[in-house]
Amino acid sequence: MTALLGQMKLEAMLWTRRKETMFWTLAFPVFFILLFGTVWKNDTWNGAPTISYLLPGITVMALMMTCVVSTASWVVEEREKGIYRRLSLTPLSAYALLGGQIGIRYVVVLLQAAVLIAIGVGLFGADVSGSALLFLAVLTLGVLSFLSVGFLLTVVARSAKSAQPLAMIVLFILMFLGGCFYPLDVIPAFLVPLCHALPSTRLCSALGQVAIGGMGPTAIWEDLLVLGAWFVACSAVTVRFFRWE
Amino acid sequence: METAVEVTNLTKKYGERVAVNNVTFSIGKGEVFGLPGPNGAGTTTTTEMIEGLRKPDAGIITVAGLNVSTNGDRVRELIGVQLQSTALYDRVRVGEAVDLFGSYYRKRLPAADVLARVSLTDRKRSFVETLSGGQKQRLAIALAIVNDPEVVFLDEPTTGLDPQARRNLWGLIEALRDDGKTIVLTTHYMEEAERLCDRVGIIDAGSIIALDTPRNLIAQQKLASAIELIAHNGHDEAILRQLQGVDKVTREGNTIVMHTRRASSVLVDLVHAAEGIGLQLDAISVRKATLEDVFLELTGKRLRE
Repeated sequence: MTALLGQMKLEAMLWTRRKETMFWTLAFPVFFILLFGTVWKNDTWNGAPTISYLLPGITVMALMMTCVVSTASWVVEEREKGIYRRLSLTPLSAYALLGGQIGIRYVVVLLQAAVLIAIGVGLFGADVSGSALLFLAVLTLGVLSFLSVGFLLTVVARSAKSAQPLAMIVLFILMFLGGCFYPLDVIPAFLVPLCHALPSTRLCSALGQVAIGGMGPTAIWEDLLVLGAWFVACSAVTVRFFRWE
Repeated sequence: METAVEVTNLTKKYGERVAVNNVTFSIGKGEVFGLPGPNGAGTTTTTEMIEGLRKPDAGIITVAGLNVSTNGDRVRELIGVQLQSTALYDRVRVGEAVDLFGSYYRKRLPAADVLARVSLTDRKRSFVETLSGGQKQRLAIALAIVNDPEVVFLDEPTTGLDPQARRNLWGLIEALRDDGKTIVLTTHYMEEAERLCDRVGIIDAGSIIALDTPRNLIAQQKLASAIELIAHNGHDEAILRQLQGVDKVTREGNTIVMHTRRASSVLVDLVHAAEGIGLQLDAISVRKATLEDVFLELTGKRLRE
């Protein structure tokens, strides 16, 4: 437990010192919601302020930056530098090492969601009346699913040089086919079944239904099932093929 | 002498290739044990198996009496390792790195002492990425001794360093030796092994082919020393060639080189003979065979190829 907390502290310190990660995970999503909020101010859709519909999408984008992009690029880089090899010669357990990396990302996602919701509600009057507890539970499942995608990319990417672009491509696919910023109606019909299989689509949908629609778990079970399936599938492949060196 | 590391019938194969072939040796407590050798000889694989980084295919390794295969967790508390590459987060300060690694161990030395030991006290607040090559290696050694280990592994600690940084690091390793630390040193530099190591094991093609003190290894091979002196005229060589124990006399410019396996008796005779023929001995020098020569003789290979 002490080791895990120590690793969390280390990862938090490293996070604040990685300028590009700080930009993409915190500054960029905040800039996004300020931009969208200003553009769609006083605009409503289906009787609710438009920003309410964009808030889950921006949250999912921020979550993916944290769980997919930062995981793939930093884990591959640290592996390539031989840091894990060196650490394996110390008594530090692999669980504490991994726990620190997962833990810091969970904390960052909670921070991102809190900041985005605070801006959305405080500045632009977004309507989030649903259950906070269920929202948190869905967000947690989302973190697990996308972390498993991020770690899967560390298996696929051979070098730090290829990890970052690969993660960005995956991010763009998940973001634009996942209907983060617009309804799926605008996407060509033949792509829609694919969209429904993506974790980003499912997380946007579940977060939106809980936050705006005030829906309960029974309404979003299908979304949760797909997110859970992504988590299980990606984790299984990662556990089988992951290498520390 | 108490044993720090015991290696028995160690074997490791990569596919068909035998990287380490039935190797047996032991390292005494407080000993500096060298494994010099070129890449691919099996030295790195051997040390990595002792450290617990690789699993042997056969054989037993104990460190401080603990079996490495079954007691890995306890062994990791007792060893310190400096790897060839720095292998550290760039955006961490020197002092933070020492604190961090110290936090991994039950037993730890105060960070200030460790930093002073490697002369990095004044770089405590510097980020790792700003250190010079020599400073990075000293930090790597600091992280290897932060738990006051029983055995310290140094993997080519001076490779790529300039001469001054190398001498600086030798001083640091000698200080560790004087503290009574057991050190396992792999190196590409024979002069380094000769200067620092109490004993040296020469591994070739996966087997230990010689193991002794550097001095004994050189003596056993009965390699020739070279006595060099400056010639003043052309008539001396014939006389020098007749001295007992001289194998060969060659001339390189105005320098005469006498090759012999019995340098001391030849020197005595030379002094007597010199008077007779009026030879000046001011510029005389004796070049002894080195570990490098031993290595070349035993393996047919140069260390750095």
